[in-house]
Amino acid sequence: MSWESVLPNVFAGDASHAEDLLVTPPMDSTAFAGFYERSVRSLWAYLARVSGDPALADDLAQESYMRFLCASRPAALLEEGEVACRRYLFRIATNLLRDHWRRPSTASIEEIPEEFFAATASSAQADSAAVLSPALALMRPRDRQLLWLAHAEGYSHREIAEVTGLASASIRLLLFRARRKIAGHLRQQNPQAGSQL
Amino acid sequence: MNLTACPREKEVAALLAQGAWPQASAPELRTHAAACRACADLVLVTQTFQQARAHTAAASPLASPGALWWRAQLRRRNAAVERMARPLLGAQIFALAVNLALAIGFLGWQARHGLSWLTWLEQLPQNSPLHLDALWPSALFTSGWSPALLIPVLAMLALVGGVVVYLGSEKQ
Repeated sequence: MSWESVLPNVFAGDASHAEDLLVTPPMDSTAFAGFYERSVRSLWAYLARVSGDPALADDLAQESYMRFLCASRPAALLEEGEVACRRYLFRIATNLLRDHWRRPSTASIEEIPEEFFAATASSAQADSAAVLSPALALMRPRDRQLLWLAHAEGYSHREIAEVTGLASASIRLLLFRARRKIAGHLRQQNPQAGSQL
Repeated sequence: MNLTACPREKEVAALLAQGAWPQASAPELRTHAAACRACADLVLVTQTFQQARAHTAAASPLASPGALWWRAQLRRRNAAVERMARPLLGAQIFALAVNLALAIGFLGWQARHGLSWLTWLEQLPQNSPLHLDALWPSALFTSGWSPALLIPVLAMLALVGGVVVYLGSEKQ
């Protein structure tokens, strides 16, 4: 084993890797601004609804974009298209949420500032938010993620598996159970909900 | 719990995804959805989530993408610098370990040979034509501080001080 193989960048003067890290971003600022404008609302909604905490959603959304830009994958993802970038972004956000839940909590789910969601809502939207939030609060975090990705974002089972890291085969069953459970909670809170079909 | 998928669930899901439920659905499909538990759950949950998404997304605060982009650049650069400095730190630790080993080896070798340089150092002020003892305060010698002890201590302090200053400047 030579010194160059032990300390390649220092002794061999290989600056290409460092240059790549220092100079070449995965997206230029204009492309990123466009991508950000198109994706931030849905990402924030996902984080806010699943975590139940708009302030946490702010932090995690920003951190998700930072990690997205700092990761080495976006350059390859750009070639796959914006849908793949979005999925990757949701994956980062999902992992951040998981990390947050693993840490000892300083606030409970009961501390959701529900008025934040109701502040600018029309009556129909306020109704849906007022019914959904308590129902979501009764669900497990993983079920909230699955339900939001499937029914709010419209992701397929394969895409949900990519985002959450769960096995694709188990998504259908987990989603079915979660849907049945939350439908029960929704009907309980608003008995007329089921009759509007 | 019955996990058998309803054969019409995909039809209902497609209409919901397009936002065409119930307007574009056949009356017969609506009747089915009202009677089928799986389809009724699907419609209820999807509609509620879609409304909540529209509402929540409209309330989302927008940070400046430019500021985020620059912060990310800064983080990338710091990470790159840290990655490049890691081998340097390894080299520093390696050099320190080699120096310590050499010093210990030298001291051991000297100990085996009777520490003759200590007696040479003690005789140095008397033998030296420079008369170094004239430079030191006389109190030093009266309080038991011999030059043989003082010189290595000062040298060690200078060495440790230099290392501390160097490491401090490296951190900055």
